[in-house]
Amino acid sequence: MKDGFGFRSLHPIVILTYYAGGITFGMLLFHPLVLLAGWGVAVIVNLHLDEGREWRKWSLPMLTGVVLIVLMNPILSHRGRTVLYYLGDIPITLESVIYGVTLAISMLNLLTFFVTYRLVMTEQKFLFLFTRISPKAALITMMAMGLVPRLRRRMQELILIQRTRGVTVTEGSLAHRARSGARLVGTLLSWTLEDALQTADSMQARGYGTGARSSYLGFRFRMRDGLTLAGFAGFAALLLGAWWSGHGFMVIYPRLGSFALSPGDGLALIAYILYLIVPLAWEWRDRRAWLIMNYRR
Amino acid sequence: MAHYELQKVTFTYPEETLPALSELSLSVPSGEFVVLCGPSGSGKSTLLRLLKREVSPGGRMSGVIMLDQLPIQDWPARELAGLVGLVMQNPDNQLVVDTVEHELAFGLENFGLGREAMRRRMAEMAGFFGLEPLLDRKTDELSGGQKQTVNLAAVLMLQPRVLLLDEPLAQLDPLAARELLGMIKRLNEEWGITVIMSEHRIDDLLPLADRVVRMELGRIAFNGNARDYVLEAWDHEGEDWVSSLPSVTRWALEQLPPSSQLHSDEPPLTVKETRNWLSRADMEPKLASETLDHKTRNATVSQQYRHSTTPSPASDPTPASTKPLLAADGLFYAYDKHSPAVLKGLEWQIRHGDWAVLFGGNGSGKSTLLQLLAGLRLPQRGAVHWEGTPFARMSSKERFSAIGYLAQNPLLHYAYDSLSEDLLQAANRAEAEDPKQEVEQMAERFGLTHLLSRHPHDMSGGEQQLGALAITLLGKPRLLLLDEPTKGLDPLAKLKLGEHLENIHAQGTTLIIATHDIELAAAYANRCSLLFHGEIVADGEPEQFFQGNLFYATALHRLFALGEASS
Repeated sequence: MKDGFGFRSLHPIVILTYYAGGITFGMLLFHPLVLLAGWGVAVIVNLHLDEGREWRKWSLPMLTGVVLIVLMNPILSHRGRTVLYYLGDIPITLESVIYGVTLAISMLNLLTFFVTYRLVMTEQKFLFLFTRISPKAALITMMAMGLVPRLRRRMQELILIQRTRGVTVTEGSLAHRARSGARLVGTLLSWTLEDALQTADSMQARGYGTGARSSYLGFRFRMRDGLTLAGFAGFAALLLGAWWSGHGFMVIYPRLGSFALSPGDGLALIAYILYLIVPLAWEWRDRRAWLIMNYRR
Repeated sequence: MAHYELQKVTFTYPEETLPALSELSLSVPSGEFVVLCGPSGSGKSTLLRLLKREVSPGGRMSGVIMLDQLPIQDWPARELAGLVGLVMQNPDNQLVVDTVEHELAFGLENFGLGREAMRRRMAEMAGFFGLEPLLDRKTDELSGGQKQTVNLAAVLMLQPRVLLLDEPLAQLDPLAARELLGMIKRLNEEWGITVIMSEHRIDDLLPLADRVVRMELGRIAFNGNARDYVLEAWDHEGEDWVSSLPSVTRWALEQLPPSSQLHSDEPPLTVKETRNWLSRADMEPKLASETLDHKTRNATVSQQYRHSTTPSPASDPTPASTKPLLAADGLFYAYDKHSPAVLKGLEWQIRHGDWAVLFGGNGSGKSTLLQLLAGLRLPQRGAVHWEGTPFARMSSKERFSAIGYLAQNPLLHYAYDSLSEDLLQAANRAEAEDPKQEVEQMAERFGLTHLLSRHPHDMSGGEQQLGALAITLLGKPRLLLLDEPTKGLDPLAKLKLGEHLENIHAQGTTLIIATHDIELAAAYANRCSLLFHGEIVADGEPEQFFQGNLFYATALHRLFALGEASS
């Protein structure tokens, strides 16, 4: 629906590059402040794409993960010089606490960032990329996607009707339920295989296997895709340069270093944020076009 | 050009002694509309599959099938696949991928066409079939008629010269069937595509066909134009020829047997032609007297349908009873919170001994209502009462043994590897004294004895239907609910089913049937109801119900209704 608008209008290759880069950098960098800033941008991207609806759905599992990491790391890891106190005879060190927090932010950052992947990389775009790599596997994927809802619906019908004959998984002894369940699944499978023969006929009748296949899915590589890729390349080069010369980390073990950002860290931070924010430029640009149009009307 | 020529084709399936087709010779010129008819198992599907090399069954074949003077096995694979298109019966199973747009493109991808060419054909075909609004939809969300339209369009994307259709309308409701048929007719007339179509119900097809080919036991029993077919069928003894004719045609021929001199539109095939024929034959007075007597008219209709002399149950006095057998009390049902309600405060009462027929448009909720009445689904508001007891106070076992339910798709009723196992399970569940004997009796009664060891999937549609009915009846229900029981049946199987139902009804089982089949209702039912907007809007005896209806009326009623309007 919104496929022609802003971030979503970009070519699948560009989108794939964005997520590949974003995740790599999210793992390379290890400085709580840099990661926190990255997380902030990821949240902003989420808000832009769907007002954060999808992100909110994932918030509970994400929060659980964060709490677990923050708690578990100091308990399991005892590296570091500064012992805060002893839990029984387990030393809890300041370093491992900070490390745990940083790790948690890093994970939170990556997950938040990846939530938007599902919003931007639609099935069609994914298949377009996938078809390049393996046309056969892509076709099978598509057939499976068509089959799953059909199987689900048929299973529901079967459960409904077979209840009248006492083949049910909601009543009776455990053994009876298990037998009924197996019978339902078996019936569904033999039925589906039967149908698959007809599907195969339908494919052959339309010339499947008579020679090389082509692909209908098509996305045009536009000017904005080129510009975006160039932007990615530029910021990635800056960031990698900074990383290569040892910036973007914080020294935690064996003794906690300073939280302050060195100029190199600053460079890495700025490059990272700019890299993450590039696609939003198109979002803003297209929104402005709408504003202007509405204003004139 | 696309000219099929079959010379002495004999085909035998592996491990069979009798040939499925024997010595069959047929020539189909380019651009013809050929209708293949004949009883189930007469070789229609086998013939169509032999004409399409990609899906030809394995077996022994002699004789030649030529397409444009070249035997089809000598054609290059790609060219042949593109030249001949095939649409089969089941709308679901022919869909290969997940979205409509991609389904349409599937064939073109197989041919390795470029993206621009594909887009152009897509635009053209979507325009012709009006599929633009559906292109982004998942194929699974479409209705049966829409699915079949997509299948047809997907085949036509390859721009075939010949279209083979193997009972494409059998699984569709009458409205969707008529729409699809209109499109097929347009393809034949406007694009000059050769159409070879097999179908059980040929009433709607006869006026369109250039040629009718009737098959019997693997041979061609008739090959000629539609009006000659009617005359030939009329001369034949036995149900199976005559039952294939449109009811108005049969009625007209009964009134006045065909003379030697025929007009160009005789014998009449449509209501319009019958009107012309009536005015020519000067039958107006007779008609007028007949329209006064509705009872006679109803009897005529039932006789038309059954060709039998058993008295119509419609005229049987139903035993008056104070308490209804089943009462729906303010039923309200929606599939989920956000979707619109299907039933909105529905009230309906079923008396002992009713044979009720439930009409209603597509998606009007007929199936849903039946499932609620069978206790398969629970209403959000309201309740169903069985002889005054609400369903909530009955155990599910009590409910299911009192009320039998037969789903639209009979395959849903089978769960075992053979018919006898399925029947035996049903008999055991009903705690029969001698399950084995009961199963044998039931199989005998429905003529299924020779199928007992067969896997349910290997039976024909009509046999599956009867088998499912037998399974349900073994539970000895007092009320039987049937959802579209005549869908996809050939005329003869339908007659048989009607007789069985009549038997069941005579033994004291109350029947409710949801159907589009108006002729069935006119012949047997003693009560007709119409479901519309989630409520029963009309409820009454068939005669009273059909009177004045133009859509929910048999062709004969329509004929008379028009007569009344004009006189």
